[in-house]
Amino acid sequence: MTELHFTDVQRDCLQELVNVAMGQASDKLARYLGTFVHLQVPAIALVEAALLSQHFASRYQQQSATLVSLGFFGDQGLRGETIMLYQLANVGVIAQLLGYSDDAVSEAEMLTDISSVLTTTFLSGLAEQLENSFSYAAPRILSSRDQYFADKLAYTAEQWQLALQVDIRYQLTDYSFNCDMILLIPGEAVLRLRQTLDNILADF
Amino acid sequence: MALTALICDDSLLARNQLKKSLPSVFDADIITASNGVEALSILRAREVGLVFLDLTMPELDGVGVLEAIKADAMDCLVIVVSADIQPEMQKRVMELGALAFVQKPATADKLADVMHKYGLI
Repeated sequence: MTELHFTDVQRDCLQELVNVAMGQASDKLARYLGTFVHLQVPAIALVEAALLSQHFASRYQQQSATLVSLGFFGDQGLRGETIMLYQLANVGVIAQLLGYSDDAVSEAEMLTDISSVLTTTFLSGLAEQLENSFSYAAPRILSSRDQYFADKLAYTAEQWQLALQVDIRYQLTDYSFNCDMILLIPGEAVLRLRQTLDNILADF
Repeated sequence: MALTALICDDSLLARNQLKKSLPSVFDADIITASNGVEALSILRAREVGLVFLDLTMPELDGVGVLEAIKADAMDCLVIVVSADIQPEMQKRVMELGALAFVQKPATADKLADVMHKYGLI
């Protein structure tokens, strides 16, 4: 097992990199949706991947959620998978806003599109700051409107070691749109990430 | 007497990054604050010529700081340094009296450009 601990300074550094990357993703999303997106400081948490599904099962209670996954591969062993979790209360409003029709196929297509915009912009912004560059797998839906999504999340998380949870709360002009983003990375990527953070910190 | 410049950001990395990226010819005493409330108490207590202001911060955000500076007619210039780069946000802070908007991360080039443009160096 890789030691997953991050120091306070490393954590602050990662939080700031996430903020900058998330700012770029929000800007992209705002342009995509044609509305202003109120950006809050995204709370990050580093947890063992194995504890992840439990956390989200209790946070989402009995509600169903849709999970969209996107794999990414960078240089020097920095790779992983992002998972976007959507609670579906506001999906209809967003579909209307974007001109998707109101059926299950369109909903899946829309969530895949939004995930793609958010995660690739976010990850590109993060990669740039880490002086790395990522390539991406096509987004895929792991679970659609599923009450038992936590089982699928557990199955996916099993392959990884560390999870970086990023709570995203997007407040659009007239309604709120909540989703969660999880970055799952393997042990060797954790070491790589920590080394890169230390290099960045050493510069300042 | 040298000018006092305030760097206000909740991130230690961002504060250090900015401090280190300031042009070497910029002759100022640099002080820092880690949120909007702290920044306002400094601005009310002493003379600060220039503020580098982050927007997304806990306690009081950058927009709140700009509103207070405007409401109290404080005599300081504000350069917003933010990750929130949406055009509407840029427009909003400019309307609230910010001098300029710098997109994070604040590199030495970006800072030198904007400070030169407004005659600060």
